[in-house]
Amino acid sequence: MKNGRAVVLVVDDIALIRMGAVDLVQSAGYEALEAQDADEAIRILESRDDIDLVFTDVQMPGTMDGIKLAHFIRNRWPPVQLIVASGRDILEESSLPTGSQYFSKPYNDHAITDAMARLLQSKNSG
Amino acid sequence: MGPFMPIKSAIFAEAPSTLAVVVLSNEPLLLLSTDLQIIAASISFCNAFAIDAATIVGRRLGTLGNGEWNMPKLVSLLNATASGNAKIEAYEIDLKRPNQKTRQLVVNAQILDDGQKDHVRLLLAVTDMTDARATARLKDDLLNDKAILIQEVQHRVANSLQIIASILMQGARRVQSDEARDHLQNAHHRVMSISAVQKQLSTSKGGKVPLKAYMALLCESLGASMIADQDRLSIAVKVDDSSVEADVSISLGLIVTELVINALKHAFPDQPKGKITVSYASKGRDWTLMVADDGIGMPTGPATPKAGLGTGIVEALAKNLQGTLEVSCAEPGTAVTVRHNADAEGQTAAPSAA
Repeated sequence: MKNGRAVVLVVDDIALIRMGAVDLVQSAGYEALEAQDADEAIRILESRDDIDLVFTDVQMPGTMDGIKLAHFIRNRWPPVQLIVASGRDILEESSLPTGSQYFSKPYNDHAITDAMARLLQSKNSG
Repeated sequence: MGPFMPIKSAIFAEAPSTLAVVVLSNEPLLLLSTDLQIIAASISFCNAFAIDAATIVGRRLGTLGNGEWNMPKLVSLLNATASGNAKIEAYEIDLKRPNQKTRQLVVNAQILDDGQKDHVRLLLAVTDMTDARATARLKDDLLNDKAILIQEVQHRVANSLQIIASILMQGARRVQSDEARDHLQNAHHRVMSISAVQKQLSTSKGGKVPLKAYMALLCESLGASMIADQDRLSIAVKVDDSSVEADVSISLGLIVTELVINALKHAFPDQPKGKITVSYASKGRDWTLMVADDGIGMPTGPATPKAGLGTGIVEALAKNLQGTLEVSCAEPGTAVTVRHNADAEGQTAAPSAA
């Protein structure tokens, strides 16, 4: 949280999708940060302690894809909520950390903001 | 000498019919005595393994070619077979020859025992599987490559649609005018409608789209983004178990998208509750698609709004599907029906291939 607003980190290697996701996060009233791959996302997570939720793509260049990133975050920063979106076949939910939400691309903006609100709510109440 | 080796055997005195069957076998075949002397060989064997057919009879198996058939394992198995202690069934062995690639052989051997002790024979069938195995491997590789390629294409299509959807929604969030926002949101719904087909295709087999699941996904997505109060307005989907070609499903989905958007916008201005029903039923090649609402009904008289892009899309797609479009009063509400009658095909404006 930063100044009472939830902070969401958007991770996607495709600039236009990342831009759209950042805009979506801001329109929902949250503070948005962005990273173009898992390595950059981890650097940002290491540099600050106010990130509430990570919204990540799956297929990205770099050392980790979005699924590995999700597990890494869950292990190292357990309170951070996770939303994963992918253009590939519907993933086995079991391949994701428990409690994370999966969406296939193209996702419905409302479905994403609903999921964000739900996850952030559960975080604050739990 | 003619094309065949002489069908006779001075040393072994086999019946000419037995020899003929062996010699003419399409499958590489050897008839052997118990001490592995060749009584007869098929022409196919000589051709497949480059052995001179004219001189093969009377030679020992181990002396053929450059001695490459003198494989200890094969010899011991044949000896065991000859003594009745073993049976060679689909035994795999590699044939190694100098300056040639190793061939993968599948060997079958059978004892032929007519009761006379000095007349026990071995029938040895040798199939060269090298090429067949290589072909099978190539086929597996190609199928694997194809699956990866399809996944890659689906991934790219999904990302492209996501880019388009994101840009449209960013535009809709930024514009000041309600009308412009409306148009951008409608464009977004159309993109999502086509995307839903893509999602169904990636999970279905044979390029067909199961309509029930597709329409459910489509209406859920439309409802989630357009209905503010889910308790007030609802969309019901009553679709049979039809599956249709991707192109057809895209057209049906876009028609439903337009009609549902239209009903959500205009049918329930002040109603405390409202329901839209999307139904599809087929019988043989006939089908009927209907979107009905229980709202205020169609406006009549001079207040009728000018037909928009949505109407144009519905009319064009209905015509393309060779369907007739009918708007009726449902009392309460409005029902829009697209009906396709297979018997009436060709009477519509579609170009015929005569």
